[in-house]
Amino acid sequence: MSAPFPLGFPAPTAFYLSFYVLTLLIHVMFMSYVLAGTGYLVAVHFLPGGFAGSRHRAPLAEILRDWMPFALSGAITAGVAPLLFVQILYQRAFYTANILLFHRWMAILPVLIAGFYLLYLLKIRWVTEGPPARGGFIALAAWLCFGFTGYSWTENHLLSLQPAAWPVFFGADSLFFWTGALLPRLGLWAAGTIPVMALLLGWQFRLTYEGTPYVPPYEIRRLALVALAGLLLSALAGVGYGSFLSPAAREFVQGAAGEPYLGLALIGWLIQAAIWLTVWKRASLRPGLLGAASLGAFLSVLGMTVLREGVRITSLPAGRLYALHERASQVGGLPVFLFFLVLNAALVGWCIVLARKAKSSPGPGEDLRDLLDRR
Amino acid sequence: MEFPYYPLNDFGPAMKGMVIGGLGIFHVFLAQFAIGGGMLMCYFQWLSQTGREPAAREALDGYFKFLVLVSFVAGALTGVAMWFTTIQISPRTIGMMVEEFHWIWATEWTFFCLEVAAGYAYYRCGGGLADRARMTLLALYSLAAWFSLFWINGILSWQLTPGGWTPAGSVWAGFFNPSFWPSLFYRTFAAMSIAALVACVVVNAHPRLSLGERDALIHRAAHFLIPMALMPVLGLWYLYAIPPDSRAWALGGSAAMTLFTGVAAGASLFVGLYALIGLNLQRVTINGATATLLCGLAFVATGGGEFVREGVRKPYTVRGALFSNSIAPSEVAELRRVGSVTRDPYPLRHPQAYPNDQVRLGAKVFRFLCGVCHTMDGANGLVHLAGTWTLEQLRLNIAKLQLTKPFMPPFAGTADELEALVQLISWTRAGRPEDWPLSNEVPTIVQIDRWLQEAGIHPASQREGKR
Repeated sequence: MSAPFPLGFPAPTAFYLSFYVLTLLIHVMFMSYVLAGTGYLVAVHFLPGGFAGSRHRAPLAEILRDWMPFALSGAITAGVAPLLFVQILYQRAFYTANILLFHRWMAILPVLIAGFYLLYLLKIRWVTEGPPARGGFIALAAWLCFGFTGYSWTENHLLSLQPAAWPVFFGADSLFFWTGALLPRLGLWAAGTIPVMALLLGWQFRLTYEGTPYVPPYEIRRLALVALAGLLLSALAGVGYGSFLSPAAREFVQGAAGEPYLGLALIGWLIQAAIWLTVWKRASLRPGLLGAASLGAFLSVLGMTVLREGVRITSLPAGRLYALHERASQVGGLPVFLFFLVLNAALVGWCIVLARKAKSSPGPGEDLRDLLDRR
Repeated sequence: MEFPYYPLNDFGPAMKGMVIGGLGIFHVFLAQFAIGGGMLMCYFQWLSQTGREPAAREALDGYFKFLVLVSFVAGALTGVAMWFTTIQISPRTIGMMVEEFHWIWATEWTFFCLEVAAGYAYYRCGGGLADRARMTLLALYSLAAWFSLFWINGILSWQLTPGGWTPAGSVWAGFFNPSFWPSLFYRTFAAMSIAALVACVVVNAHPRLSLGERDALIHRAAHFLIPMALMPVLGLWYLYAIPPDSRAWALGGSAAMTLFTGVAAGASLFVGLYALIGLNLQRVTINGATATLLCGLAFVATGGGEFVREGVRKPYTVRGALFSNSIAPSEVAELRRVGSVTRDPYPLRHPQAYPNDQVRLGAKVFRFLCGVCHTMDGANGLVHLAGTWTLEQLRLNIAKLQLTKPFMPPFAGTADELEALVQLISWTRAGRPEDWPLSNEVPTIVQIDRWLQEAGIHPASQREGKR
């Protein structure tokens, strides 16, 4: 492939790949917030000195607790679009991996429902005003739910890339698919969620506490350290995962199609590392710094998402996939989708404008608290 | 021809249809609650801001929190679960639906985004907003929720009544199919009814409302039950729009379908009569227990209706395009020639559990052709359905399957495969003994082949149409 992704693919394939990558980026943003955010909540509850019940001493945790159910709702809703496009792009491989993992795979649904309700539970007074361990265990349970979901997606993804293994796996009636690439790949994505969460939380922190007389510097420094740890871990896991790539996948990553994106991912990583180091030194979340970190995170996530798809599509029989994409591209409805995409995006914007006009929005944790505490 | 084989799991004694049916009913009920709930909240907001019912605002906020806890969590995730479950049960069906309607689904997704954005904006900030802004958010939420029904309704109704759709034709010919409008109106009124009944439960449980306020709000909510009076007409319109053979099964041709039609109609009738006469004409009040019971009846009605909607599609999952066992009508002849499982790359699990190769072949044939709707000896088990048949009856009835039962697809395998399936049923019926003789007499296979040819490769409805 002699052109950067997705130009080297037939037009229908390139078209669906682009839609998939763009919608997946939105999902990754929410998903990162939920997965890494619950992990952060676990840590602040259990680490010595990490938890303090008052909002002033643990504002980041308060923000996370407050926004977590919405973020999960956003992750699920944003996940619908890539879930749709993945069925066009890799129908047979995706379906087969789903079916092969059967109960194990389907378990993510009740687990996610349980995780969702646990996030609401984190907001009630019985938890926020109870001993730290109570909140810590609930956060841990929620994190395990989301971690299990991430693990299952990774397992599903890797199984879908190995058609030769499908009949053997089915005949063996296995519950788990194991390959050496599983842990480093899972580690890459899990660690990669940390700086994205830190960035989103940084923006929220900035917007929530802007203009208030006291902004605790240790919270900012802790956030920067968390982001830096995530960047370091994701780099290590990325190197580990790279060693498991097939020759075809390696060719994609190092060739004209993938190399520019590998470069983008690395540049984004360096920008983020530099910014978070600065944040740690200055204990400041100035918009300029957050803006630069946002650019870095976007480049990294975009680069890694493209590489992920390149590795996947080069692992599967291309002819059959291209024929499916060609067929799918001939059905109607795209103009209607684009019209409503624009219209509904504008309406979503209007909703946000309306919400910002509220005289006094409920403080973190106040909304459902009343309802649940009364029950 | 390259047939797309998928690995097929065994769901034990549960019929696969029970799994997706149960989940589907639950999801539809939650989704309809969210759709009707949006409309009801707009009504309550209007009552509140115009001063007609000041307590409506308090009830509205309590109702919305309940809706968020139920619909945004369980409703959203069971929606995703429907996709995953359909993949487990019939990957080719969902694949065809996605391939054909992916832009419709993508359009629906934009409405999901609006629904979540408007819903959360109201949920977080509604308390501090002016009435006009509150109404705007609720109206956007409600509109988005209803449009999600609009889009998915086109896809689901297409499965039963593809209308003028052809695989290479316009997607809109399939979307605006003959049962689209009756189904859309029916579901809209069902959503309003469910929302009203849930409101009766929530209002009764609201700790800050007085008895008088509760009474007034319940009667306001009951206005949303009035459109139920039109549901019989819409039901008849729907029945008129669906194919004659499907209609016949719902109206006496199939005992199960008729029973569930009756259950759905009966439960709806009870709710409707109570709502119209009791709540709206006599103005009796309703307590939490009665409201919960009525919600239960509405759930039963939804369940019955969904069961019938799924059931009357037989022998297809997409009428005219894909049989229940995920085989396209155009593929039957080829599979009869080369064998349905000859090229199936997926081995039999636990092959040592079967006494010989013929029964093992039968098990693969069962998995591929029958397993989506039947078990061996569990729900809808072949042993129960055909347990008393003689060997000759088994061979004849399976060979002429679409004539034996018009809601069954034609048998799509070779005569040898059919005999292997017969042996599997007989062996299971006999208590799965360790030894089982082979049955490979040439005259038997020749006779089966003759029956297969007599039955042809078309489903019963097409044969009848040709006469």
